[in-house]
Amino acid sequence: MKICSNCAHENREGYLYCEECGQALNAEGVSAIRPTKHFEVASDEFSAHATWGTARFDKDATIILRISDAADPIMFQPRGQTIIGRADNTNSQKPDLDLTPYGALEKGVSRIHSAIFRNDDTLTVVDKGSANGTFLNGQRLIPNQPRVLRDGDEIRLGKLIAHIFFKSTQP
Amino acid sequence: MNIDFDPYVILGVSPDASFDEIKDAHRRAVRRLHSDTNPNKGAVAQLQDINVAYNLLSEADRRQDYDIQARKKQREFDFVLRVTPSKRSLAPLPEPQVIYLLVEILPDPRALSQAERIQQPSRLNLTLVLDHSNSMNGARLERVKAAAHKIIDQLNEQDIFSVVTFNDYADVVIPATPVQDKAGLKARISMMAASGGTEIFKGLQAGIEQNRQYVAPRLVNHVIMLTDGNTYGDQERCLSLVKQAAAEGIITSAMGLGSDWNDKFLDEIATISGGACAYIKAPSDVVKFLNDHVRSLVNVFVERLQLSVAPDADVRLETAFKLSPNSQPLSVDTAEIPLGNLQVNRITSLLLQFEIPANLRLGFRSIARLIARGDILANQYPPFQALSDFSIGVSTDIDTHETPPALLDALGKLTLYRLQERAQEAFENGDFKEATRRLENLATRFLEHGQAELAEQALAEAHQVAATSALSSEGRKSLKFQTRFLLSSGADVPNANGTA
Repeated sequence: MKICSNCAHENREGYLYCEECGQALNAEGVSAIRPTKHFEVASDEFSAHATWGTARFDKDATIILRISDAADPIMFQPRGQTIIGRADNTNSQKPDLDLTPYGALEKGVSRIHSAIFRNDDTLTVVDKGSANGTFLNGQRLIPNQPRVLRDGDEIRLGKLIAHIFFKSTQP
Repeated sequence: MNIDFDPYVILGVSPDASFDEIKDAHRRAVRRLHSDTNPNKGAVAQLQDINVAYNLLSEADRRQDYDIQARKKQREFDFVLRVTPSKRSLAPLPEPQVIYLLVEILPDPRALSQAERIQQPSRLNLTLVLDHSNSMNGARLERVKAAAHKIIDQLNEQDIFSVVTFNDYADVVIPATPVQDKAGLKARISMMAASGGTEIFKGLQAGIEQNRQYVAPRLVNHVIMLTDGNTYGDQERCLSLVKQAAAEGIITSAMGLGSDWNDKFLDEIATISGGACAYIKAPSDVVKFLNDHVRSLVNVFVERLQLSVAPDADVRLETAFKLSPNSQPLSVDTAEIPLGNLQVNRITSLLLQFEIPANLRLGFRSIARLIARGDILANQYPPFQALSDFSIGVSTDIDTHETPPALLDALGKLTLYRLQERAQEAFENGDFKEATRRLENLATRFLEHGQAELAEQALAEAHQVAATSALSSEGRKSLKFQTRFLLSSGADVPNANGTA
C-alpha cells in the first residue's frame, strides 16, 4: 500500500502517482514492508501535540515556525495579514516577517513571497505571485488562492523549508 | 495451408529450432494460456495461433514446405517491439501490486532512409465523410471545402479518393476513383451547400462503401469523418459498421468541429478501428488538422497495426492508453488492440497497466506475452509480427533501479488526464462540489507540470462549476483534448537514426 503524502489516499503498491490527487508517490523502495518514519518531537515546545493535524487556531494561539537548519524557531501571534518575504534596501515595502537571516536570498525567496491570513479560528496561506513558488506539503500553490494551514504542515518558499506548529495558550 | 503469420515468431522459437524445442515451447504456451486456467481474452486468441503454428511446424514435411515458401517471401523491412517495465523486480507482498509497461513499436530505420532517398509516399485509398448539415453553414463549410481542395492538391495519380457528404441523407459527391482530374474533383467539392440535420450512420455507411471498392492490403485505406453535431439513435449501428470495416482493413478517423459533438462517441469510433479522434476548436484550424492527418497517412510504414496482450493466468491487464501518435484511451476488452498505423518517422507507444496478485513466489516469473502485428506496406509480403515475452524476478531485495524517466513522464501526464476524467465524471454525476474540488486540484497539477495556461483554464472551469453548476461544453472538450495533446507531444521521439 502506498499512502499519498498529500491526500492520504491509499494507493495500490506499484502506483507512481496518487490516483486521487496526482501527487508523485516517492519510490523509496517498497513502503509496505518498511516502517513509516515518524517525526521526532525533540523539545517540550511541541507539547501541544494533541492538536497535531488540526486546522483550528485558537484565539490567543501562537505560530511556531521552525525553519530547517535554523537553531531557534520563530514565534509570533498573527493578526490579519502577515507578509512573509525578504527585506531589501531597494524595496520600500518591508515584509512583516523577514527571512533574510535564514538565507532567504540564496534559497530563492521573493521580496513579497507569501502571506499568512488570520481568520476567525483558522489560518490560510497564500502565494503572493512569488518567482519560485510556495509549496504546501509538497504541492505548489496557485498564486492568490488561499489554502488552509494545519498544525504540522510543511511550507516551502523557493528552497527554504519551514514547518509550522500551533501553540495554544489554553491547557 | 496459408497462414498470414510467422509460426516461429508466434511460438517464440528460432527458425532452426529442433523438434523438441518446438514441442517444449508449445507445451509451455498451452500451460500458460489455456482458457481452462487463463481467463484473459488475449490469451485465448494467442493460443489459437500458437496451435496452428505448432501443427504446421511439428510435421516435418509441412515445416519443410513452409520454410521453402518463406524463403521466397522476402521480408525487406521489419519493426521492433520494445517493452520497458516500471520496475526491474517485484517484491513478494501480502497484497496485489501494479506494474506498468511502456510498449514502443519502432519502425525500421532503413525504411526511413529509403523513404528520404526515393521520396515515394504510401499509396492512399482515402475517403472523406463530411457533415453538411445546417449548423455547418458559413465559415465552417467554407473551411472544410478549402481543406478538401488542399488534400486533392497533394494526392498523386495512383491514389484513390472519394468524398461523401451527409445531413439527413448521404450523397456520394466523388465516387472512389484514381485522382486524375483534380480540377473536376475540386469543382464538385465547391458545390456543397449546408442544409438539414446530422445522421452520421448514413454518411459513414456510404463512405465506407466507397472506400471498400478499392480496399487492398498494400494501400492505406482510410476514412476521415468530420462532423459538428450529435447523431441520435444510430450510434450502435455506426460502431458495428466501423468495426466491420476495420476487420476488412479500413481505418476510420473522426474529427469533431466546434463544441456540440459527442466526444465519447467519436472516441469510440476511433478506438475500435485504431484511427484518430481530434477536436478542432475553430473553423480556421480545419485545414491544418485535415492536412496534417493526411500527411501522416502518406508516411505510413505499417498499416493495421495491432497489439495482442496475453497476460499470465493470474495477471490482469487493467488499462491501456496510446501515448503517441494521437494519444487516446484504448479498450482492453478485446483480444487484439487496434493501433492504426505506424509511421516511418514516428514511434508508436502505449502504456499498459497490469495487476499482479498477492503472495508471489520467489524466483523468475512470466507476466505477459505481447505480439505486435501489422502489414509492412513496402514489403512484397506485408504481414509481419514481433513478439516480446515479458518476465520479471520476484525477490525480497529492494529494487534500487530508478523508474525509467520516459515512463515516469508519460505516467505523470496520463495521471493528469485521469484527474481531468474524474472531474468530468463528478460533474456528470451532479456532484458539483466534488467537480470543483477536482478541477482546482487539476489546476495545481498542471502548474506543477509547467502548464500555466491549462492551469488557468481548469481554474476558470472550477469557478464556473462552483458558481453556476455548469461546465461549458467547449471548456470540457478543450481540457480533455489538450491534456491528451500533452501526452503525445511528450512522447515524441527523435527519428530512428538517433538524430533529431
